[in-house]
Amino acid sequence: MEDMISLEGISFSYYNRIPALCDMSLGIKEGERFAIIGANGSGKSTLLQIMSGLIHQSEGKYFFKGREISEHALRDKGFLRFFRERVGYVFQDSDIQLFCPTVLDELLYGPMQLELKESEALDRAFEVMRILNIENLKDRPSYMLSGGEKKRVAIGSILTMNPEVLLLDEPTNGLDPRTQCFLVELMLALNDAGKTIVIATHDLSLVGELDAKVTVLSEDHRVVTTGRADDILKDESILLDVNLIHEHIHFHGKSSHSHLHSHYLFHRHKDRE
Amino acid sequence: MENKIPGFLLEKPSSPPAMGRLRTSFIENGIHHVANIIKTGYIQWETASEDNFFQQIDARVKVLFLLFFVLIVSLKKDIVPEALIGVFVLILTLMARLDVISFYKRVLFFGFIFGFLIALPSAFNVITKGTIILPVLSLSRPHGFWIYRIPKEIGITREGAYGVAMLTLRVMDSLSISLFVLYTTPFPEIIKALKVLKVPDSFLMIITLAYKYIFIFAKTVEDMHLAIKGRLAGHISDSDARKWIAGRMAFIFKKTRLRCEEIFNAMLGRGFSGDVRIYRARRLRARDWITGAVLFMSGIIFLLI
Repeated sequence: MEDMISLEGISFSYYNRIPALCDMSLGIKEGERFAIIGANGSGKSTLLQIMSGLIHQSEGKYFFKGREISEHALRDKGFLRFFRERVGYVFQDSDIQLFCPTVLDELLYGPMQLELKESEALDRAFEVMRILNIENLKDRPSYMLSGGEKKRVAIGSILTMNPEVLLLDEPTNGLDPRTQCFLVELMLALNDAGKTIVIATHDLSLVGELDAKVTVLSEDHRVVTTGRADDILKDESILLDVNLIHEHIHFHGKSSHSHLHSHYLFHRHKDRE
Repeated sequence: MENKIPGFLLEKPSSPPAMGRLRTSFIENGIHHVANIIKTGYIQWETASEDNFFQQIDARVKVLFLLFFVLIVSLKKDIVPEALIGVFVLILTLMARLDVISFYKRVLFFGFIFGFLIALPSAFNVITKGTIILPVLSLSRPHGFWIYRIPKEIGITREGAYGVAMLTLRVMDSLSISLFVLYTTPFPEIIKALKVLKVPDSFLMIITLAYKYIFIFAKTVEDMHLAIKGRLAGHISDSDARKWIAGRMAFIFKKTRLRCEEIFNAMLGRGFSGDVRIYRARRLRARDWITGAVLFMSGIIFLLI
């Protein structure tokens, strides 16, 4: 199957001075669960923003469904609508994303931009509120929501646009375990419904739970490797190289010892195996 | 969960109609200017932190040089010493390895507006009396209005042109000296150097915090713009854009107020009790003293010319 998203030799630097991505190439197929992992500052969010056409690479080419995405291409109204209808981006900071007076307005904003009928837009908003369990928040302004509620509304505001690809930047960051679990289930259900899910994260347990295809970014902003979650998460040397696991010293009773530590697979004690 | 997925999420999006090209909205233009604040700040910090001779000189020496030379520029009454000071700053700029073209683009732009254009009317004999060197207009007879008198022959006088040239040179010299110090000194160092002028610490702290949060909120504005861009499938009308901007201004205001309270609590948590104490600056090195002395002597020479 041809790649739905294809990046070829993408480079990007902020203010033409600070490098964020260096010569990155990767492909994502339709219906895939895909995770971009790397340490802080490795370029995960920048890569996701390029995929969503919000910023544009300084070098390289980006193709979505075989059509090149560039600043010039997205100036075409028809093509912009084609692209925005199919690609939704959920920001890491929900506060940034929520800008309408109430939760309901927030959910209606996208469908109204797509020029849906008001009744259809309302149907979508209520159905999305139902699956996200936020019906009781309908008339609340976003600044009166908790972190988990804001995240649900932010995801809902994208879901009402019914995109084929969902790009989620650090989706579980700062959320309580119950909301994290809810989001994982939601992502799996959406994927089952045919949506392509792309996440950027440094949470290895999330990658494991989604059983995603994984691309690992290094701290010098390059793709180190791409593979199945099982294989990548077992590869201690790669994770150590890109600073996703580390040597950790701690106490058991009165004795201390050190081991590799990732809060996922490698929190194991060799002397007890 | 899969049973709960709404039917519309299983549908494929419809193919869009062709609708022509988008024009850049005024929000987009405005946001580019905001982004430029960050870029300019970054470039200023980068050039000011380079390992060149003038960048390494203590900020106090440069702040005193700035004040001393701006004073000299305003005391001089001849074009020649003003022009020589301009040449002197050009030499310093070359020695500091600054980007001379972008540096003088700014100097000329602001010098033209705040020096030449503002002073230009005074070049005419209506304001400055003297010998006309460039006649512009000839009236049938002189006119009088209240305390003003418009002569029959209107033109640029020698004395007026001299005054305009002087003022333009003064503005350009003062600007180039200020920009030179700004481009070779990181902003936090300039703030600390103001301590030599006995500026109160609390005032310095307020400036430092304000400068820092300009960048933080400029970044927030840029991110908010990306957020709306990600949900726009067409052009946003000017009235919708205004509504969005008003809403976001309220949001930024709220966020600023909350951030202000958080920062104050963080300060309290680290021992703040009403008095601001900034650590004592390091001692001047021999290189700073020598450079300071050379700059001071140059200033005295310009005063004597």
